[in-house]
Formats: sequence, structure tokens, C-alpha cells
Amino acid sequence: MDRRIFLTMPWLLAAGRVRADAAYARVERGAALVFPRDHGSHPDFRTEWWYVTGWARDADGADFGVQVTFFRNRPGIAEASASRFAPKTLLFAHAAVADPRAGRLRHDQRAARAGFGIAEAAEATTDVRVDDWSLRLAGDTYVARLAARDFAFDLAFGAREPPLLQGEGGVSRKGPREAEASYYYSRPQLALSGTVTLDGRARRVTGVAWLDHEWSSEYVPPEAQGWDWTGLNFDDGSALMAFRMRARDGGDLWAGGALRDAAGNVRALGRNDVRFAPLRQWRSPRTGFVYPVAFRVDAGPVSVELTPLMDDQELDARGSVGIVYWEGAVRALAAGRPVGRGYLELTGYGGPIRL
Amino acid sequence: MNTAVVQAVLGGAFTHQRGRLALSVLAIALGVALGYAVALINAAAVGEFAGGMRTLSGVADLEVRGPRGGFDEALYATLARDPDVAVASPVVEVDARIAGRDDALVVYGVDAFRAAAVTPALVGAADTALDLLRPGAVFLSPAAAAWLGAGPGGTLTVQSGVRDVVLAIAGYAGGDAGRRFAVMDIAAAQDAFARGGSLSRVDLRLRPGSDAALARERIARTLPPGVVVAAPRDNAATTERMSRAYRVNLNVLALVALFTGGLLVFSTQALSVVRRRAQFALLRTLGLARRRLVALLVAEGALVGAAGSVVGLAAGYGLAYAVLRVFGADLGAGFFRGAAPQIAFDAWSALVFAALGVAVAMTGSFAPAREAARAAPAAALKAGDEQQAFARLRSPLPGLVLLAAGAAATRLPPVGGLPLAGYGAIALMLIGTLLLLPRIAALVLARVPAPRAFAPALALDQLRGAPGQASVSLATIVASVSLMVSMAIMVASFRQSLDDWLAALLPADVYVRAGPAGDSAYFDQRDQQALAAVPGVARVAFLRAQALVLDPALPRVTLLARDLPGDDPEQRLPLVGETLPRRAGDPPPVWVSEAMVDLHGMHPGARIELPLAGRTWPFVVAGIWRDYARQQGALVVERATYVALTGDRSATDAAVWLAPGVTPAAFRAALDARFPEAARAALSTPGEIRALSLAVFDRTFAVTYGLLAAAIVIGLVGLSSSFGALVLARRREFGVLRHLGMTRRQVGAMLATEGAAISAIGLATGLTLGFVMSLVLIHVVNRQSFHWSMALSVPWGSLAALAAALLVLAMATTVASARQAMGGGVIRAVRDDW
Amino acid sequence: MIRLDRVAKSFPGPRPRTVLDRVCLDVARGELVAILGESGSGKSTLLNVIAGLETPDAGTVVVAGADLAVLDDDALTAFRRTHVGFVFQAFHVLPYLTVAQNVALPLRLAGCDERTAAARVSAMLAAVGLAERAAGMPRELSGGELQRIAIARALVHRPQVVLADEPTGNLDPASAQGVIALLRSTLQAEGATGVLVTHSRTAAASADRVLVLTVAGLAPFEGRLS
Repeated sequence: MDRRIFLTMPWLLAAGRVRADAAYARVERGAALVFPRDHGSHPDFRTEWWYVTGWARDADGADFGVQVTFFRNRPGIAEASASRFAPKTLLFAHAAVADPRAGRLRHDQRAARAGFGIAEAAEATTDVRVDDWSLRLAGDTYVARLAARDFAFDLAFGAREPPLLQGEGGVSRKGPREAEASYYYSRPQLALSGTVTLDGRARRVTGVAWLDHEWSSEYVPPEAQGWDWTGLNFDDGSALMAFRMRARDGGDLWAGGALRDAAGNVRALGRNDVRFAPLRQWRSPRTGFVYPVAFRVDAGPVSVELTPLMDDQELDARGSVGIVYWEGAVRALAAGRPVGRGYLELTGYGGPIRL
Repeated sequence: MNTAVVQAVLGGAFTHQRGRLALSVLAIALGVALGYAVALINAAAVGEFAGGMRTLSGVADLEVRGPRGGFDEALYATLARDPDVAVASPVVEVDARIAGRDDALVVYGVDAFRAAAVTPALVGAADTALDLLRPGAVFLSPAAAAWLGAGPGGTLTVQSGVRDVVLAIAGYAGGDAGRRFAVMDIAAAQDAFARGGSLSRVDLRLRPGSDAALARERIARTLPPGVVVAAPRDNAATTERMSRAYRVNLNVLALVALFTGGLLVFSTQALSVVRRRAQFALLRTLGLARRRLVALLVAEGALVGAAGSVVGLAAGYGLAYAVLRVFGADLGAGFFRGAAPQIAFDAWSALVFAALGVAVAMTGSFAPAREAARAAPAAALKAGDEQQAFARLRSPLPGLVLLAAGAAATRLPPVGGLPLAGYGAIALMLIGTLLLLPRIAALVLARVPAPRAFAPALALDQLRGAPGQASVSLATIVASVSLMVSMAIMVASFRQSLDDWLAALLPADVYVRAGPAGDSAYFDQRDQQALAAVPGVARVAFLRAQALVLDPALPRVTLLARDLPGDDPEQRLPLVGETLPRRAGDPPPVWVSEAMVDLHGMHPGARIELPLAGRTWPFVVAGIWRDYARQQGALVVERATYVALTGDRSATDAAVWLAPGVTPAAFRAALDARFPEAARAALSTPGEIRALSLAVFDRTFAVTYGLLAAAIVIGLVGLSSSFGALVLARRREFGVLRHLGMTRRQVGAMLATEGAAISAIGLATGLTLGFVMSLVLIHVVNRQSFHWSMALSVPWGSLAALAAALLVLAMATTVASARQAMGGGVIRAVRDDW
Repeated sequence: MIRLDRVAKSFPGPRPRTVLDRVCLDVARGELVAILGESGSGKSTLLNVIAGLETPDAGTVVVAGADLAVLDDDALTAFRRTHVGFVFQAFHVLPYLTVAQNVALPLRLAGCDERTAAARVSAMLAAVGLAERAAGMPRELSGGELQRIAIARALVHRPQVVLADEPTGNLDPASAQGVIALLRSTLQAEGATGVLVTHSRTAAASADRVLVLTVAGLAPFEGRLS
């Protein structure tokens, strides 16, 4: 899935127009992913991210949405430079916490060129850091540590199941053209535990989370307006990832997903297996943009309603990086009954994502 | 106050002598204009500079910097991980020579990710954010763009080594900061300017709650030698301090102009009061209180001052504007390079200088006013009393005390880096001498043999009989002549010393500089070999210039690593004083400039440590040399030593001795043929360097020359006024002498003799005082301001010519003003029944 | 010694003023003539005309045998230097010269050698009774004494004519009396002719002849003197 926050990073937008002096690696069908090597970074590819979203509940029973992302970009410039500062690899990190009592998102970000041990993305396994923000995989547990402007995370995400390879053995198509694809695997049903510090108060939390690791050198189809994506951990142990690319004319350009049941059987969903039907609109009081914050999602045998933890999970990053989108914690309801928790991402509602 | 009274007192003052009044106004205006212009230029330059520094240092709490050539970039990683540091922003700073121009532009290589959080002004405003990282992209400050006449879409070509680097201008940076600079990616800067592995500075933003002072202290301890940590404002203060002495000197010149303006007001008012003496006496008899009369006359002076101030402020603004446009903020002295200051009306300094102008004029008119008010009205009403006006001979004690105090003040150290005591000494000497003038005149006149001719003899009698009478005239001459002479001797000494220094410093036939500006140009070892192999070259000596931080509170000092003759390394240095013989076992020698002695306390024989290549090395101070080029201080070491310690074999300059019969032009041709890259290098002969240096010198002192001329004009006008006042006061005396049978010519001859005597005494006193004051300027003011010494060199020829011209002018002035004052029959002045 | 024939003098200006209108005067050698007149009647102008300090608009002036009309400024100055002595109302003793130097001024102007001059100055100072003040400065002297110095100065170079303009004007009656007596006696002793302009009848009383100057011209004074 070429989704997400990294698009808020203008480096990427720019990179599309650049004639790169680097020869990027291509996503090849049939190449098997090997772990733990493929938990690590793939600097030959243009872009890569580790994306953690989850629900956390504190001792008082209050729910939070938490999100931690590390993003690697190879802009393809200064490849010949001898300098240790050469911007061959750029690293970004983004974190947000959705607190229904605050009614809005808190978020913060870090950006750096890789080097000097200050910002690095290891190739051996997941071990990525930007300044004092880090995400590391030790054994079967991911640990995220970061201190943002007005919150801090010290969270562990325990994996109980092997990685869920998306698409065709981990090669996920994004658009009508063959090249529009990525290597993509997910870690659903991660056991979340640790500390979330809000307003100076550290809270012990537990919950369930989802990790995506994706890398590629190609980009979303040029005719895309934006996309809708969701990753859901069902209470029964099953998990669903579904996305659709929206065309500029309003129709669906591409869609896909994967469903894993509690026993670990995976079913890949094709472009005709996934449908997103908006149920409710929410207008941002800040930007005036209108987001369909509640959906009916039909994905293969699954049919759920998504309702947000809170309506206002809009991220306005126009001041820094020039894009506005909605990324938030959602509950999955079946027949009006909560059956799961996950994240929903809506982009392109404030105008087409420019590539 | 009653308007009729005001009119009665002031009436006549403004109608009878418009010319002189206008001159008084102009004299005050000149002082105010100069002072205000200097203040405006300084405010513009320093403000712009400090503002620029603020912009450029952004919100950094601390700044880590080292030698000009940089320090190991590994330090960045250490600093970035420091527990107190929130953001560490590495910077590579290069003074890049602009290709095809004898000028340089500061290029900052930054990591935009880091700079955005610390120094946002150093992040370019990119259409395409990736341009911020693109190796060939550069962002110009608007001032730099205007200066270069280039903008986004264009290119900027700079010199690195002896080769060109072409950069694409991708946009602007720095917002509306008036400083000239360019920004590019740090990696690109390291690559383009061969600064791989090194940084010039790291800007630090501390975590909230960190104690900046403690953090600074702790970080300072971890830094390698030669690298320091300081608060950014300290750097601004350092730069400010560097130029302060120069600015204070300009301000003092303005005050001198104001002072002479005050003297002119004094003499004009004295004349005008004498004219209206009877009028005042009458008013006093009619009941005008003494205090009110004084107040009115001082108010009259204030009016002159106010008019002068208004004219002066307007002129000062215009002058500042013109100077900034034509010369730049430092009048070409080179302190504020890179700043493009904008002038702004400064109400506060306008007020200060207007007040100064008015105060000076009021002070100038106070003495004559008191004199007028003190006179017994009855006596003043009767004829024949005018002669009393200036006729008191005071005790010499105050004058002698002031002179002694002035002499003592020359021994005092500078105050806050400024030669305030030196200026005080000059002021004390001047005022002391002015107070002693009647005594001096009496002493001199007593030794003049009586002339045979009647008129000169009578003139001498008059001067001997009333030595106090001419003191105002004398004061105007002495003040203007002494100030002028002291400046002239100082400037001449400076110029001669500079000339000698250049001659000592430039023994070779041709000098080749990798780049005439900036620090981005250099010769690498291959270039050096190529240069030495050019046909016609007998010998080449290379020099590597480097800048080191020795004290975080002071600007960087220059380290010059020079190829010196092995047997006698000191023959090439313009040494001052004794040098230390070299002893076995001593560390390598370093020769320090005078500023190093004053600012860093490095005395011959001292063992010092210099931070080179991240380590400290012991050196022994072997001698002191004179350096007019680097006010902040410079050190010379042998290049072999430098290369051995640092491994840095590059060179910035080369001195070339040519084989017999090879001309510099032939050398240039051979150089171009054998070593084409050297086309970018600047080639000059000692003669050209000397001519250029002296031209810069003369331009810097142009202001001084202008002020000297103004001082002379003001002095002569003051002489005319005061002498006119004297003649006017003595109209009846001349009438009587005419009655007794003196011809008009004899009266004229008498006055001419008096004028000549006053002028000669004034000139002689002024020359003597000026000579003494020049010694104070040279040995105290200059040394304390700029930390360099100079040899006294008196321009006897021009001084003699000047003195002769002044004598003639002064005599002509006295005769003319006497004739004017005697106009209308003096005979009728004797009429007693008025 | 002094002959004025129909001398006229007027001062130009926005309101031209005729000061002397065809004035005739004859003064014999050794005679002391007093001229009385109101302020502004032209007494001082008359004296200036006699001294060659003012050139009359019309008429002839012959003093000590010289027709002043034919002399240029330098010649007139030389004439004054040798033939005329002045006594002023405000004394006009130069403050920066000693008493003796003041008295010696006319002699120095005439180029007299120093020894002769010194002797003559001592004699004159003795004659006016101020020999002991020779080295003193004028500021140490009283008004009467200053005027006696002035008289000594007026006669030191043996002029044929002495012109005195209100010599008692600044003096108290007692000093005035002494000064007039001294003027009279020294004039006689030196054989000089004198013209005394005054508005004091007491002062005029000691003259050989008293005239009065009015707009109509000079006429013998008919009133009572003191």
C-alpha cells in the first residue's frame, strides 16, 4: 500500500519530478521474502516504511489510538557524494495519539538524513531511529520509544503470529500497471503494552496493534485522487486489510486486501472483492474539508461498519509539509455489535494528492 | 518673557551679521551632520550586522566553532547525542570567491532538516523541497541576489581551489535579512569546497529546562583543542567590539567638528555681544536683571544651535545615505563585509545630536553673555570701556593642572577596549593650553624685540599690555591648528609606517594568490608544483592562511604558515623590538603580531599552545611583528612546522622570485601557458599591492582629510570673528590714534602686525600642541584602538607649507576683518556726546 | 592762526542735516577761544573741520598757514601730527600703555628720538603735576588725572593748535576747574593757540574770547559766564 504519512513529506512529492541519478531496485514477482532480513531496511528501493497503529486502554478503561511510523526515502540525489552528510538516505518519523477526551489528535514528527548514528535504518532487522525516536524488533517484540512535543510512547508490540504477506506472496499491486506494486507484509494482532505519557502523566496501557512494512520504487497511479485504507484486528483473532484507490472521476481505480482467520488461513482479496461505502460525513471545522469518517466495508466474506473513536482525527500538515488527511482509530461493528478495532486512513479529500 | 525685551536684546544680532551667523549655524550643522551621519551609518551597519547575526544564528542557544578551516565532523555526532542538546545543526561556512570578481560571498552548507529547527533563515525557500538537498543547488539571500544581479533560474559560479564550481540558483533564503550569503546542502558544500570531514560550526538548541550555562561549561570540557562553545550573542558582541574602536574614532572626529563649531559660536557671539554692549548696558540700567540678560543671550546661542542642528540632521541623513551608497557601511574599512545596511531615521540619536548641537552653541554663547552681563552698566554706557572686555589675565594654575592631568591620562589603560583615556588626555591638553594662552602670548611677546617702526611697535605694546584680549582669536587658531596638525602627523605616520611595512612584507617579484577574496581558493600540492615549474620562476615561497579560535570571547586570529628562509627566518618579518634567540630543546617558534600581545598577552619567550588539527602543540613566542592587515591578531609559524603538525599541504598564496630578466608580464604569460587553471588566481606585483593598499588607506582616511579642511575653515572664520570683535571693541582707540596723527595705513599696519603676531603665536602653539597630541594619537589612541604601533613620521614639508599658508591666510583674515570693522569713520567713533 | 571762511557742512542721509552753515571764525596766535553751544549744534564737527578730520562741503579752512582743502588724507594726517593737539571729553588714554607711553605717543608718531622724547615727556608730566605717575597705568588714575595726562599728550609735541572737545564733560566741578586752569596755563606756557568746545559756561569763562554756535552761525556770547 503506497499510503500514508510519507506523502506528507514533500521530499517524496518532489522526487517524482526528479530525474534520479540512482538506479532503483524493482519489485519482482515471485521473489520470496526472507525474515529477519526483510524486517530490515531495503536501501536499494526508493521508499520504505514501518507503520504501527493500535488501540491502547489505560487502567481507567480509557481508549487511545496510537500511531508510530518510520519512513525511509532514497531521493536518488548526491549518490556520488563522498560526504558523510550526503543525503542518499532520508529518514522520517511520525507519531500521533488520539485521545477522545482531548477531542483532537496530538502529533509530532522527526526528519533527518541517515548517518552519524543519529538517524539510521538497519538492514539486518527492524531497527530504525531518527534522533531519540526508535522502533526496534527484538525477538518477536517490536519496541517503539519516542518523546514528542506533548506526549511520549514507550510501547512494546508482541507478535504471536508470523508475518501476513500481502498480495501475491508479499508483492502487492497498487494500480492497473504491473510496475505499480510494492513488497508488503503486515503484523496484525500485535499485543500492545507499555506506557503512554500524556499531559505529563505516564499511563500503563495494554491493547492491540497492527504493523505494516512496505517498500517499493514505484508510485501510486497518476490518475489516483487518493485512497481509503483500513487494517482491522477482530476480537476473534482474525484480521482484515482492505484498501481502494479512488480515481479522479470518483470511481474506484484499484482495490485489494487480505483476510486472515484466527487459525492463520490467509485469503487474498482482489480488486473486485473490496467495496468501501461511506455512511457518515464529517466536516473539519479547521479546513472545511469533508471526510467520510464512517464506512461500510465489504471485503470477501466480511461486512463491517467502521465508526471512528472520535470524529476529529484530521492531520493538518499544510504548514510544514503541505497536505491534509484523516488517519484515525476506528471500531468495527457487525450488526451493531463491536467485533474489532483498527485504523482508517482517508487521503485526497482536500484535493487530489499531487504526484 | 516680554517680547519687547527679547527684541531689545536680540534685535540687531540677527540683522547686522547674517553672514557670520550663517557660518555659526553651518559650523554647528557640520558637527551635528558628521556626528549624526556616523551614528546613522553605525546604527545601520551594526544593526544590520547584529540583526544578520541574529537571523543567522536563529534560536540557537549555543554555538560550537573552531578554526576557519573547520574541525572534525565526528564532533557533530557527539554533540547531537548530548543529553542537554535537543537539536544540533552542523554548518560548513565558506567564504567563497565569486568567479570573475574580486569579491567573496559567504556560503553556508547546512543540513536543512536540522537548520529548520535552529536557524530557519538558513533554509532556502524551495519550490521543490528536494532542491534543498540537491548538490548543485544554491539559495541566495535577497541581498546577495541583488548584489550579484542574479536570481532563481540563474547560476552562481564560485572558485574552489583554482577551479570553478557552477551552482544553480534554486531560490531565496534568509527572508528579508540584509546580509549577503548563500545556502546549500552541507554535503554538497563539503564536496564542492574540499571540506570533506570537517565542519565550521555546530549550532545547538538545548532541551527545555537545560541550564545553558552549565551545559556550555560541560560541553566546553569535552571539545577538542581549538574548538569552543559560546552563546551566539557573544559572537555578535565580538564582531561589534572589533569595529567599535573604529566607530568611536569617527564619533570623536564628529565631536571635534562640534567643538570647533562651538568655538565659532563663541567668537561670533563675543563679537556680537561687543557690538551690542551699550545696548545691553542701557537695558540693564532700565532694569533688565543680569540673569535674564544672560538667559536671553544664551537663548540666542540656543537658537543658533537649534538652526544648526536642524540643518545638520538633514545633512547628516543625506551624508549617511550617500556614504552608504558609495562606500558601504565602514567607509571602505572592511569591518562589515556581507552586510547591506539600510538607513533608518533614528529619532534617539537625532535627539542626542540635536541636543549636543544646541548645548555646544549655548555653551559657546555663555561666556560672552556672562561677560556682557557682568559689566557695570554705568561704565559700559560711558565710552572707552570696551577694552576691559577681554583684558583679564587669569592664574596659570588651572591650565597647568589640566596639562599635567592630560599627561597623566596618557598612561592609563584602555577602558572597555576603547582609548577613552587617550581622548581625555587630548581634550585636557587642548583645554589646558587654551587656558594658558594669555600667559603663553605674554611670555612670547616679552621676548620679541621692539620694532623700530611706530605702528608695529604700538601693536606690540597693545598685545603686551592686554595679552588676554587676543585669547579668543588665539584659541580658535590653536584649537583648529593643533587638531589638524595632530591628525596630519598621525595619518602621515600611519601611511609611512604602512608603506614601510608593505616594503618589508613584499620582498618577492610577484605575488600569486589563489583567490583574491574569500577562503575557498587554494593551491593544492600539484598546483604548487605546477607553479614552481613555470619557466622563469627562480624560487617560490608558499603561505597558508588559517584562522584559529584561541579565546571564545575574542574573534578568530589568523595563523600564517609561511615558507621562511631556513637560516634566518626573521629576515622576512617586519619585526618590532628584540627577538628571542633560538635554543636547543625549544618548541617551534611563533612570531606574533602586536595585537596578540595586547589581546592575548603573548610576550616574547612565552610558551604557548596552539590548537592545530584538533590537537594542541607547544610553541615559543620568538618575536613580535607589526601587522596592519589583521586587527584581531595574527601568528606566523614556519610552514614546514605547520605541515609536519597538520599534514595540510595546501597554500593560499605564493611569493614568486623571478629569474633575472623575466618580467612579471612574461611570467603571467608563461603561467597561463603552463598552468591554465591559474587564470583564476590573482597575480600582483609589490608595486600594485602597495598602490592598492595606499589607495584603500587614503579612502579610509578621506573623512579625516575632509574634517581637517573643515577645522581649518572653521578656525579661520573664528579668527575673523574674534579679531573683528577685538577691532570693533577698539574703534575709539583707532579714532584717537587717527586724531593724534596716525595715517590710515599706519593703523592698518598696526592691526596687521597684531594679526600676524596672534597668528604666529597661535600657529606656533598649535603646531607644538598638535605635535604632542599626535604622539598621544599614535602611541595611545591608535595602539589601544587597533593594537598596532607605528613610527612617528612628521611630514615636515607639508606642515611647513601648511603653516606658511595658514599664516598668510590668518593675516589676510585679520586685516580683512579689521578693515571691515573699521568701516564707516572710526573718527566719528571718538565723538563723545552720543 | 585759524581762519574759517563760510564753512558749510551737512551730513547726508534720509533726513539730511546741515550742521555748519557758512561759519566764519578767526583765531589769533596764542588766543584761547571757547565755543559754547547746545548738544547737536555742530561744535564737534567744527573742531573736526579745524583738525582736518572732516572735509567741509564749502568754504575754506586755513590753519597754521595751511589751506586744508588742498591737502590729501596723508598730508592732513601729517599736518595733525605736527600742528594739532587734542583733548577729548572721555580722555581716550590708551589703557594698555603706561602714563608716560601715552604722553609720548605723538612724539613717537613724529619719529622723535627716544632720549629727547623722554626728556620732553618728563617735562610735560611735571607741568601737569603727574611726574610721579609716569610709570603708572591709566586704570590707576582718577578722571581729573586722566584728563591732565591727555593735556600733556596734546601739548607734548609742541603743536601750534590745541583742540579741546568738552574736556570737563566727564569731570566733577572741582576737577573741571583744575583741568581748565591747567589747559589755560600750559597753552600759555607752550605758546599754543586753543579752541575749547564746551557747553559749560564755567569752563568757557577762562577763555580769551567766548563764541556761541547756533544754527545761524558763530556769534559772540552775550550772556553771563559763571
